[in-house]
Amino acid sequence: MSGVLASIEACVPALRRYAAVLLRNRQDADDMVHDTLVRALGSLHTRREEHEVRPWLFAIMHNLFVSQLRRTRAHASLEAAGELEGPPGGQEERLRWRDLVRALNNLPEEQRSVILLVSVEDLSYAEVARVLGIPIGTVMSRLARAREKLRLAGHGHEEARPNLRRVK
Amino acid sequence: MSESGRPITEEEVHAYVDGRLDEDRGMGVSRYLQAHPEAAARVAAYGEQRQALRAAFEFLAAEPVPPSLDLSRLLEERLMRRPSSRWQLVAAVVAALWLGGIGGWLVGRRPPSGLDALAQEAAASYAVYVADKGRPVELAAEQRGDLVRWLTLRLNRPVVPPDLSAAGYRFLGGRLVATGRGAAALFVYESGAGSRLAVFLRPMGSEQSIPIEAADIGDSDGCIWIDNGVGYIVTGAEPYGQLLELSRQVRQQAQARS
Repeated sequence: MSGVLASIEACVPALRRYAAVLLRNRQDADDMVHDTLVRALGSLHTRREEHEVRPWLFAIMHNLFVSQLRRTRAHASLEAAGELEGPPGGQEERLRWRDLVRALNNLPEEQRSVILLVSVEDLSYAEVARVLGIPIGTVMSRLARAREKLRLAGHGHEEARPNLRRVK
Repeated sequence: MSESGRPITEEEVHAYVDGRLDEDRGMGVSRYLQAHPEAAARVAAYGEQRQALRAAFEFLAAEPVPPSLDLSRLLEERLMRRPSSRWQLVAAVVAALWLGGIGGWLVGRRPPSGLDALAQEAAASYAVYVADKGRPVELAAEQRGDLVRWLTLRLNRPVVPPDLSAAGYRFLGGRLVATGRGAAALFVYESGAGSRLAVFLRPMGSEQSIPIEAADIGDSDGCIWIDNGVGYIVTGAEPYGQLLELSRQVRQQAQARS
């Protein structure tokens, strides 16, 4: 009957991933996941179904993220956070990875959250709406704008991207 | 009008990319895309994008979780942190009981050291049950026989409430308690002045015998020891010297029976 705890535990890798991409810094990300888990453990008395655990945890973390942004006026500090370190790989792969991450980082924060939660974390549109506290129609329009921007930046559009761009 | 001619909405495009359309509508969208190469190219681009994002960040979730984020550790820290009020402890314990099996879940992982765990369990039981004015016990002294059978069955060894009437403590009754290491027994006594005393016991793991020593049981003093593989705790509002004397009586009675 430890289903809720097991569900929380199963979400930790995904929470770490989402936080790392948002914050662009592994240590800051793990600090935020830590705070998220502490909060979650503090409100275990609120009865919760197992399938609700994922959106619930992401919602806690999103709120922490938003209040951190507010506290530090952090768009500036996010810029200062620099870039997340990519996975190991060949030069070609690393450049491609960096291109994608830069294009993602060029999206407005509100669109970035949506496309990450939908595409990478695989939350349903309704769950994303709950996590971010916005109507589902707003989720859809942000998702559409984010995808179109990434497409025009050349992602999901391989042949259209001139190879010259990568030569620096 | 044919299905393939029906225009698709922008929302359906994305739901199609994310695999969130039902089979019927998904097939409708597929047929539409076959007939409209431009829309199909856009959908294909979104699909590749989705895959690229997933692949790009997969490594972040594949790494082992650092110990600082180990859930059992965070939970232990939380339960061990001295609560600033008894109510906080009560709330934590109620949450734990509601979840049932927290303990069982912890056991498979990182068992806290034996006596510490026993002291924590006794503290929680004392705060939740013994402090309950109206209903501190599940089975009252009048149902002593039922209580003994119940506890003996669940703890898998003879469990008999000690008799402390010579020391001026009336037996109120007892109950089965869930702990991280299985079932425990709680007996509650009351002095003529109305102060309550708890005897808490459960089978221990490896330790077979440890002499009586002082233990910190939440806000109260207590005595803790192990006899024949069973851990005991006596706790109450009384001064330590008196608890020690009562503990000796409890121990003698248990030893006399075994």
